[in-house]
Amino acid sequence: MLGFISARQAGLDDPLRLRRAESTRRVLSLELNKDRDVERIHGSGINTLDIEPVEGRYMLSGGSDGVIVLYDLENLSRKPNYTCKALCSVGRSHPDAHKFSVETVQWYPHDTGMFTSSSFDKTLKIWDTNTLQPADVFQFEGTVYSHHMSPVATKHCLIAVGTKSPKVQLCDLKSGSCSHILQVYCLEMNMTYGQIMERQLICHRQEVLAVSWSPRHEYVLATASADSKVKLWDVRRASGCLTTLDQHNGEKSKASSEAVNTAHNGRVNGLCYTSDGLHLLTVGTDDRMRLWNSSTGENTLVNYGKVSNESRKGLKFSVSCGCSPEFAFVPYKSTIAVYTIFSGELITMLRGHYNTVDCCVFQPNFQELYSGSRDCNILAWIPALREPVLDDVSEKPLRRQHINPAYEDAWSSSDDED
Amino acid sequence: MDQRLAQLVEELTTAGEPQLEPGRMKELKKICRSSEEHLSHAYHLLLTRLHEEHAEMRFSAFQIVQELFSRSHLFRTLLVSNFQEFLELTVGTDHEQPLPPPREVAQKLRKAAIAAVQGWHEKYGEAYKKLSLGYHYLKQNKKVDFQDVHARTVAERKREEEKQKRLDNVYKEKAKRAEKEMAEMSQEVAGTLTEMENCFRLLLPDPFDFTVNSTGLEPNEQTSADEDRSASSLPTYVGCVDDEQPCCSKDILPISQCVRTDQNEELADKQKKPEQDLLDGDTCSEVESGVPVLGDDDYETFVRNHGLISHKYALDLELSTADIKVHENEDNTAVINSVADAHKLVRNKFLPSVQSWIQLFTRAGINDDRLRCAIDLKNRLEAALRKYKEMNISFKERKRKVMKASDDGDDDDDDEDDFVEVPEKEGYEPHIPDHLRKEYGLENCPKKDESVKKDSCSLTKTKQKNEDELDPTCAAATLKLIRDKLPNESATTEPAALEEPDSKRRKLEEERAKAPLMPFGLDLHYWGQDQPSAGKILKFTSEHRFWAPSEVEEEVENKEITEMLKTRYITFAGKFEPVKHKCRAPMPDGSLCERQDRIKCPFHGKIIPRDECGVPINAEDRAREEKMRFEKQATQPETEWRDPEFMREVEAATGVDLGSSKTNGKGGKKKGKKKYPNLTDLKQQANTARSRLEKIVFNKGAVKRVVKAMNQMDQRKHEKFANQFNYALN
Repeated sequence: MLGFISARQAGLDDPLRLRRAESTRRVLSLELNKDRDVERIHGSGINTLDIEPVEGRYMLSGGSDGVIVLYDLENLSRKPNYTCKALCSVGRSHPDAHKFSVETVQWYPHDTGMFTSSSFDKTLKIWDTNTLQPADVFQFEGTVYSHHMSPVATKHCLIAVGTKSPKVQLCDLKSGSCSHILQVYCLEMNMTYGQIMERQLICHRQEVLAVSWSPRHEYVLATASADSKVKLWDVRRASGCLTTLDQHNGEKSKASSEAVNTAHNGRVNGLCYTSDGLHLLTVGTDDRMRLWNSSTGENTLVNYGKVSNESRKGLKFSVSCGCSPEFAFVPYKSTIAVYTIFSGELITMLRGHYNTVDCCVFQPNFQELYSGSRDCNILAWIPALREPVLDDVSEKPLRRQHINPAYEDAWSSSDDED
Repeated sequence: MDQRLAQLVEELTTAGEPQLEPGRMKELKKICRSSEEHLSHAYHLLLTRLHEEHAEMRFSAFQIVQELFSRSHLFRTLLVSNFQEFLELTVGTDHEQPLPPPREVAQKLRKAAIAAVQGWHEKYGEAYKKLSLGYHYLKQNKKVDFQDVHARTVAERKREEEKQKRLDNVYKEKAKRAEKEMAEMSQEVAGTLTEMENCFRLLLPDPFDFTVNSTGLEPNEQTSADEDRSASSLPTYVGCVDDEQPCCSKDILPISQCVRTDQNEELADKQKKPEQDLLDGDTCSEVESGVPVLGDDDYETFVRNHGLISHKYALDLELSTADIKVHENEDNTAVINSVADAHKLVRNKFLPSVQSWIQLFTRAGINDDRLRCAIDLKNRLEAALRKYKEMNISFKERKRKVMKASDDGDDDDDDEDDFVEVPEKEGYEPHIPDHLRKEYGLENCPKKDESVKKDSCSLTKTKQKNEDELDPTCAAATLKLIRDKLPNESATTEPAALEEPDSKRRKLEEERAKAPLMPFGLDLHYWGQDQPSAGKILKFTSEHRFWAPSEVEEEVENKEITEMLKTRYITFAGKFEPVKHKCRAPMPDGSLCERQDRIKCPFHGKIIPRDECGVPINAEDRAREEKMRFEKQATQPETEWRDPEFMREVEAATGVDLGSSKTNGKGGKKKGKKKYPNLTDLKQQANTARSRLEKIVFNKGAVKRVVKAMNQMDQRKHEKFANQFNYALN
């Protein structure tokens, strides 16, 4: 650390390097910190979390009872001990609250004045944060598993929605309509060209469990479905998807009679782009995680080992940002597994939850991780502070005073006598 | 030290005790204290112990964990880092992974673990984040009520409540029914009780009820006889019968009469007692108040007459109720009968039902008049039963004295008194012995050599008989009919017997009595005669249905049928003689074999005569037995005292080889069979009817056999339809 600082001082190093080294160190030392707590509001499992990208200060959480809570993560008290307060919440008594489990919440990428939430009650709601009133409500035919808004889009305002129906629907916030349905696009265009047969090959056959916009290209969308396929779309291109990811990279599927490219052997229920948008991570119920090259659609064949995944719904996992090997944080039963993305190495398992973890979200500014579980807890994983370096003997008794009495051993005196 | 640690943990956790052994625990703590490595080693050892599928093991391990948790920070850190698993293993938070059997211990473990988590949370919750998380998890997600002593989850509590409710309803329903029943039956019970009470009064007056007069009682014959004797021997007693005597002493008499003990002695006691102990004035005055009529002279004479010194003493009567005995005689039979009936009714019907009512009421939580009423009833019934028991009624033989027709019928014939009470008989008896004929209103078989006197008697009888025969309902009439129809046997045999001398006739009669009674058959019908048509069958040569030759009769003799008509099978099975001897071979427990086999005991071989100790009397038998015992010992060298472990210890101590290594294999196997003898054997508990059946039904061999048989059946089907393509394919 000191070396990095001095190198930075001398101007030998790229400024990014110090930042990378430090943030990597902090990510590696993530732990359940007793100083940080998240207020307990939810009375049931937590399905989704999202931290707004503008300041990284506010976090939304969606519970399986339809409650949405907004937390303030920033500690302004100047004390190490801090409980993240719930600023406001859309509780059960709220007239516009979701009736059923909230599956996804997401901030509007450019402003904290608005957020979106989708639920099993077949609606997607656009909320005004300040008044906590829904600005718009989209109704769908099936339950909504996931939605996503492009974090980099400047030219469009589309929300991709994955529902129980095999169609991926695009809701346009500008027009307030959800007429842009990818499948309809295909159908229209195919009819134009008289190639109706093609439609069945390119569309999903089962519910869409996860959708994600690329953080690099504003029109590129990835969708994952229960039919074990992951597709990349360019929403401008109406004729069909760009690629269907193939776990065998085309080697096996050429030989087999069914020319279906599958990404996993089970349902694909999690999608996450790396922060640079060059790679795409997917998880499936075949207990595998795969890393894909998002531009070519090639399976990079990184072996992460078994990633236990029993979720019937979408799984929200996240990746780190600004570390030198990037990390992926994946819910693994009641723990969170930390992998290096490109080598597939399991770094650690974060243990703290008492029930299945459904979502986790990474706060890139302070390298903090928040995770929500079915045991109703939101846990904050904070980098451990550096141990103060003991260079003086005189400091020792001082340190002793600070130590919590609970940390002291209490071997009874009767044991001494023996 | 690591090994010692592992050994300690194993010993502590396999002890199966509810409490840890303090000595070992101290040692364990000492080792853990010595270094952090040992502590973490202990932690891992304990965690593996917690994973065992045995609640007792887990419980012991949990107790050790509790001890260490309160002492070491490192241990706390280690445990808290894996707190989910710990909760799963001790509280059973994962419903797919319930606590292992035995259930009671699991319940205890759960309770203890929850209490411990609460305690830990209070003490260390702030410092260890995951600990408090776990506590909140239990509290909010699992809804564990930490105040609830049973440490049940919400679902369990709800289930329990529902069950209770249902039970309550059932009990209430039952109680209602019982109440109704009680209302119906109490009348009857009260009636029976009154009846019993009255009967008791009649049989035996209440000793404290002095108003009952002696005249109301029926003194026992025997006691009265006793009384006579006592009266003669004791002057007091005579006085007692006197009318002049105070009424209280009059009352003593009947009671003592009924008390059938050695009355003489008791009375003597009674006499002595008052003389010995002078009682205080209070009771005296009471007694005296009972004799106000006596004048001074009377008083003096009374005192003198009785040889008493003073009148100022109280009579202390001790009537030992234990010796009361009521005898049944003609006078009180009816009373005793009704008492016995009532007693039976009370014991068999009323008391059980009253008891069941009380049980139902208490179960339903009813605590009002109904319960009180039932208890009252029960008390009364029990009192009645007790009283009945105290009465000690000795029943007369219940058998009716039946006047049996005496066997010496010949003597009776001479008697004038012909009419004797006779048990009634029903149905027709074809053969009536001579001595019984009279009873049937029939004439004796004519015996010409009887006396004239008899003849005259029989004359009247024949007259009577003729009258009898005219009456169709009489047995004589029936017999006459039968006699007319059948050839009279007695008529044929009797004349022959007439000529024979008397002694011979008697002998014949004796033989006849001995001879078995056989059913009548054709063979008897044609006894001693040739049956002309026996076994002859008409045979038709032509078997045509319509047409037949004119000379049809052709008789064929069938030998079998002839034989059948002439023979009779009689089985002489002999008579069963019960075995009187016993095997009497000595048993291992010192007693003698009690089996009563005729020839051979299944356990001890041929039954031979033995003396009291079970030793054979014959020398050769003794030698044989000795030899057998010796052989048996040779084949089974291992006696009980040769416990392999004990032997090994002895060997180790003495350094002499006693041959324990020979039995080593067996001992080792035994040890492997049951690793931890102190723990509850889970397999033992699973020994239910179901598991035993399962063992048989799902036995590998059995399954294999069934599969094979089914396959064979399939195969056969295949073979049958092999030529049909759609069967041939699969």
